[in-house]
Amino acid sequence: MRPVGLYVERRSPLHALDPITKLVYAVCLALVPFVAGDLRVTFVALAGNLALLAVGRVVREGLLALAGVGFFLATLFLVQGMVYPGNATPLVSIGPLVLYREGLAYAVWLTARFINLTLSAFVLLFTTRPADLVEELVRAGLPPRAGYVLLSVLQIIPSMAARVSVIQDAQRSRGMETEGPIWVRMRALLPVLGPLVISSLVAMQERALALEVRGFGAPGPRTFYRPPWRHRIAWPVRLAAVSALLGALIWRLAG
Amino acid sequence: MATGAQPRAGIWTTRWTTLTLVLIPVGIAINFVGKFVAQALKLPLWLDSIGTVLAAFIAGPWVGALTGALNNIIYGLTVDPVSFWYFITSVGIGLSAGIMARLGFIRTTARAVVAGLVVALVATVVSFPINIYLWGGQTGNVWGDALFTALTLRGVPLWLASFLDELAVDLPDKVLTVLIAFGLFKALPRRLLSQFQLGEGELRHTA
Repeated sequence: MRPVGLYVERRSPLHALDPITKLVYAVCLALVPFVAGDLRVTFVALAGNLALLAVGRVVREGLLALAGVGFFLATLFLVQGMVYPGNATPLVSIGPLVLYREGLAYAVWLTARFINLTLSAFVLLFTTRPADLVEELVRAGLPPRAGYVLLSVLQIIPSMAARVSVIQDAQRSRGMETEGPIWVRMRALLPVLGPLVISSLVAMQERALALEVRGFGAPGPRTFYRPPWRHRIAWPVRLAAVSALLGALIWRLAG
Repeated sequence: MATGAQPRAGIWTTRWTTLTLVLIPVGIAINFVGKFVAQALKLPLWLDSIGTVLAAFIAGPWVGALTGALNNIIYGLTVDPVSFWYFITSVGIGLSAGIMARLGFIRTTARAVVAGLVVALVATVVSFPINIYLWGGQTGNVWGDALFTALTLRGVPLWLASFLDELAVDLPDKVLTVLIAFGLFKALPRRLLSQFQLGEGELRHTA
């Protein structure tokens, strides 16, 4: 079973960079268009993100992941082109439907902002193992219990997803139908989810006991298995990301 | 304890134990699996908050809210960065499901439907302003967006059309989510549930 998440195992300068720096970068760059409120600035940020994905050698994976929302983005152009409140200049008409220039421009803006947000996040997600990110967050001050919750989700999901197919096969052999009209498929929900959810919740007690036996609730500071992740350019990158965000703010205020 | 009213488990009381903490990731995993099964069965619903609602039923509104919040954080950090924006929706779902449970709305199926309607309304009220800000009012669900377009073209104000767009999707989704969580909750062993309830002895300490 494939682990949860978008992480791609590669060797690249971006993979070597520490997770916190990439997190700071992703948050700052994702927010740049929202703060600047300007399409040109958004395109600059977008180009920067694409370049970084190239440095991380994950451009192809990133664009493929983005293709999944292509349909929604297309409806954005269609719907906003028709109904955007500022619509005044008709541009194209397809049968009875009229698309307006203002609405389409608005859709371009929403789409660019969204793609930039997604690509900023991809710079982090495609090049960082989720477990490494959580460990570094705990080191930076996230409570260890919250760190446990986040990490254990990543372990529980694959094992539960694997059990789904086993339960589905078992119930199908007892006559459960998984195809056909919607109400037939709807009825298949409980026989699959029931055994899965109840067994996971019952197994939870054992998990809690196992944790307590190993000192989960013990007071005092925690130690780490690995040494802190240090990188020469960590601080320069963080500063650059924050100044990009500040630059966007100045751009907005200067109008 | 001879005088005065007997303290009762309030709406907001939570028993924080290791078991409560383990419930949260299991709830998040159930959310994920619910969505996965809904997609596998090609249902036109999300069904991605069964675990949040179930955690809220079992351990109260705070645990529900925390499950919802961490659900969107972990989802945003691994798969879909947009889920950060809808973080507050998940918190609303967890809180409202927990409050309805503590108010006694998960005793019968009919009451659970009412709880489902309340959760759907909360989810809609919290989500639609985010939809307006991010997507000009759309939800990304084809049926909801078709309704949105038809309404707006007939002169319905954008905010109302957007609200109805979200409601059209959330109403069936959340009512079914709450009913599934209700069915699962009823099937859970009492021995498990009792560990989350505030016993008499527990209450005397906090009172």
